[in-house]
This record gives sequence, structure tokens and C-alpha cells, in this order.
Amino acid sequence: MAIAVQIAFNAIVAGAMYALVALGFNLIYSTARFFDVGYAALAVASAYAVLYFYKTLGLPLVVSIPLGIIIAALLGLIIEKIIYRPLRARKASGTVLLVSSIGVLTVVQALIAIVFTSEFQSLSRDIGSTRVFQFFGGAITETQLIIIAAAFAVMIALGLTLRYSYFGKAIRAIADDEEVARIVGIPSERLIGIVFFLGTAIGAIAGIAIGFDSGIQPTAGLALLLGGIIAAIIGGIGNVWGGVLGAFVLAIVENVGVWLISGQWKAAIAFSVLILFLIFRPKGLLQK
Amino acid sequence: MDYFIHVAILASIWGILALSLELVVGETGLVSLAHAAFFGIGAYATAILLKIGLNFFFAAPLAMAVVAAVALAIGLVLSRFKGDIYMLASLGFTSIVYSIFLNWQSVTNGPLGLPAIPRASLFGFSFSTIMSYFVLVIIMLALVYAFCRWLTRSSFGRVLHAIREDEEATSIFGYRTTHYKLLVFVIAAMLAALAGGLYASYISFIDPSSFMVAASIFVLATIILGGLGNVRGAILGAFILIMFPEALRFVGFPADIAAQSRQLVYGLVLILLMLFRPQGIWGTFRL
Repeated sequence: MAIAVQIAFNAIVAGAMYALVALGFNLIYSTARFFDVGYAALAVASAYAVLYFYKTLGLPLVVSIPLGIIIAALLGLIIEKIIYRPLRARKASGTVLLVSSIGVLTVVQALIAIVFTSEFQSLSRDIGSTRVFQFFGGAITETQLIIIAAAFAVMIALGLTLRYSYFGKAIRAIADDEEVARIVGIPSERLIGIVFFLGTAIGAIAGIAIGFDSGIQPTAGLALLLGGIIAAIIGGIGNVWGGVLGAFVLAIVENVGVWLISGQWKAAIAFSVLILFLIFRPKGLLQK
Repeated sequence: MDYFIHVAILASIWGILALSLELVVGETGLVSLAHAAFFGIGAYATAILLKIGLNFFFAAPLAMAVVAAVALAIGLVLSRFKGDIYMLASLGFTSIVYSIFLNWQSVTNGPLGLPAIPRASLFGFSFSTIMSYFVLVIIMLALVYAFCRWLTRSSFGRVLHAIREDEEATSIFGYRTTHYKLLVFVIAAMLAALAGGLYASYISFIDPSSFMVAASIFVLATIILGGLGNVRGAILGAFILIMFPEALRFVGFPADIAAQSRQLVYGLVLILLMLFRPQGIWGTFRL
């Protein structure tokens, strides 16, 4: 019983983080139409920005975290403007954009490692001092509760924005058919810029969350992103809520799998789930 | 002088790997990130066979056969996908194989890796000096190059090009495109296994970290730089991307920063190529 509760807690925490990554990824994918791998590196970059402001400069959390998120989001916007937009203007294929974003991932990772070393670091100032709560025989830390709350807040805010605001409707129009959206006067290039800004900011929250929960290293982004992409595919790629659903499905399968087999096989379990889905249900659980 | 030969050996081994990936990406248009897995399985299989006392020239073909079987299974799954999903699924296989290297302790010795892998020998002559190994690797590179050149100019190669340009049209002409894609994928994986075997026997120590996704990305960068759709381009790309960052070593950076600046160079090369010269140096095909 206790072990089942613990697995459920772990799955909810992991699911919340995957859900954030999948949300940002889906937002970018549905408008820009390519697998933005570089997005993962920016999520990690935001965690390192927080590390710098919070631990090196000693600024308070309420300043460090927003600064970290904004820096990553601005980087996302700049990269979109100088790399992806010229490629899109040239009608480059999704593969070209994907390869260039692999380049972005490699460059950002290397820069982080040069500035901050490639060692594993935690964002919290005093590790181990976080409060631990016990429910039904399972343990969950205060940090993890904050992460879950933040993730759900972002999900709801994004859901409402996409559903009711002009911005959200315009984004959905671009996702549906970019050319028609442009013809009816939606400034698609400007909106895609905003999408990169917002999407990267959402991914950045996940990066910072990982940094506080378990610690971060420059190469952590790819694993995080793959969790998000797998979640997006399980849920139905480009479908915002599908990504959230997929995130929790993936987190449950992973955590049960880890309990049954061994923690070392986590990545293999995740990818096996991905490949099974791609074979048997390529459009995901919530088909569009 | 030994140092230059050492770099040339590495460049030649990566050249073989790049040539093999060129068959899949440049000739057939399938952007696969699974190559690090085949390189790794080839390296591990050859290393294990060498350590139980088998001769390299038996061990390497056996390892290639093992990889052919694995590649057939993976290729069957991958043949269902296209474009971005193909890339993602192939990356998934690289990650799965990497975690097998890491966790199948009894065979791979886990993260500690396999030490003391013997050098290749033939009729009592051991390729133990760096110069003799260089000759061996160059001969292998020449053979693989000749094979790839022949393959791409054969009727089989022309079907691959047709698949690259328009798979649907090719299948309407009556070609079983899946079979062609599968066959070239298996051939390429076997050549990657040969490169892995040469690498293991040369370095004499392998661990899982050499066969991560980063290695797949690196090989992809080399063939895009050299130019897709041109087998000479693969070798050129491998030599440039192996040799050029070696120069960074002489600038006097510490080891960790030198390794990271190498990654930085690879990433920048990819971005700049995509932006300004998507066909690479000698390419005839752009993604």
C-alpha cells in the first residue's frame, strides 16, 4: 500500500514536469511545425541562470526565478528570429529546422558547460533542509508540492488563454492553416515570435523545477525534452491537453516500470513506450 | 608525429562510420540517428570476441553479422515512419541501446567499460605499432569507400536515389521501396559495426559514453558538412571535423573546456550549414 502511494506521488511529480515540457513543446510545434530540440537546452539554461542569480549573487528567489525564466524566453525569441525565421522564409523542410535546432542544443549545452562546468549541481542553497510531508504512508517534499502547484497553474492559465483570448484564437488559426491565417490578417510571424517566447518560458519552469528537485547538469535538457516529446506523442502531437494526459501516462508507466525492473532502465522504458505508441497508435490517445 | 598518425587513424575510423551513414541519409534520404547504436554494438561485440581470443578478422565479421540482425529488427520498425518521427524513433533506439550498454553488467561491464582489448593481428603479425594500425585502417577505409562508390553507382543505388527524391513515385514504378530501405539500412549498420570494431581494437578500452546520442549527431554533422549525396563528402567531412578541433588543443585550453569547445564547433557548423549552405561542401542533395 505504502509503496503504491509513493509510486503515485513520484508519478505525479514527474508527470507535472513532463506536462510542462510537453505544453511548451506542443505550443511551438503546432505553430512553427518542427521538433524544436534547442528548446530543451534553453530550459536548462534558465536553471543555470537561476543558479547564478540565486546561489552566486545571493538574490532572493522571487527575483531569481522570474529573471531565469525571462532570460530563457528572450533567448528563445532571439534564436527564433535569427535562425528559424530565415529558414522558414526559405520554405526549409522540418528536417532542416530540426537539424539546426540540434545545432542550437549542442551549442547552448557546450556554452553552459564552459561557464558553469559540466558537474551536477543543485539549485537549493541548503540541500536536505526542505520539509517533507507524509500522506497515506508516502513522502513528498515541499519543493515537489510547489512544482505540482506551479505546473497546474500554468496549465490552467495556458488553457484559458488559448481558449478565450484573441491571442489564443489566432494561435489556433495558425496551427490549423498558417497561410489562410495570414490571408485573413493574422500577423503570423509576430505571433510565432510570441509563441517561442511563451513556450520557452513554460519549458524554463520545468528546467528550474528539475534544478530544485533533483539537480541539474548541462546535458539534462535532452532527457527532459524527450520525456516531453514522448508525452506529446502519447497524447496526440500538437494537442495541448493530450500532452498533459500523455505526460501523466508516461510518468505512471515509467514509475511502475522502475519499481518492477530497476531505475537504470528508465530511459529504455520511456522509449519502448514511445516506439509502441508510434507503431500501434501513431496519432496518440486523443486523435485530432 | 605519432600524434598526427593517431588523429589520422581516428579520422579514418570516423570516415568509415560517416560513409556508412551517408548511404542511409545522403543516398536514400532517411535521416537516421541510430548509427551510434550500431557503432557501439559493433565495438562491444568485436571487443568481447577479441577478449575470448578470437582473431580480429573473424571477430569483426561476426560482430557485423550480429549488428545486421539487430539492424534488421530496428529497420523493420523504423520503416513505418517518415521525416521527423523517423529521426525521433531512431534516436529512441540509440538511447535504448545505450542503456543496455550501461546496465547489462555481465556482458558489457556497465559504466566501467571493457579494458585491455587486444589489437588486431593477421598470420602472426600484430598491428601493435601505431603505423601498422594506420595502414590497416587506411586499407579498410579504401575498401569501404570503393564499396560505397560501387553501390551508389549500381542499379541498386539508383533505386535508392529514386526513393530519396520521391518514394511514392518509385513504388508506383513497382519497386518494393521498403525492401530497398531495409537493405541499405542493414548494409550501413554492418559498415558502422566494422568502424566500431576497428575503434575498439585501436583504443583498447570502450565504455558506453562513446556511443551516446551525441555520437550520432556528430556523424550526421560530418556528412552534412562534407555534402549529402556524395561519398567523397563523407570522408572529407570526417577529416575536417576530427582534425580541425584538434587544433583547439594547441591553443592551450584545459581538457574539459577543449572538449566542450569541440561540441561548440560541431553545433555551430550545423547551424551555419543549415542557414547558408544546406548542401554542404560537395553535396548534391539537400535535406
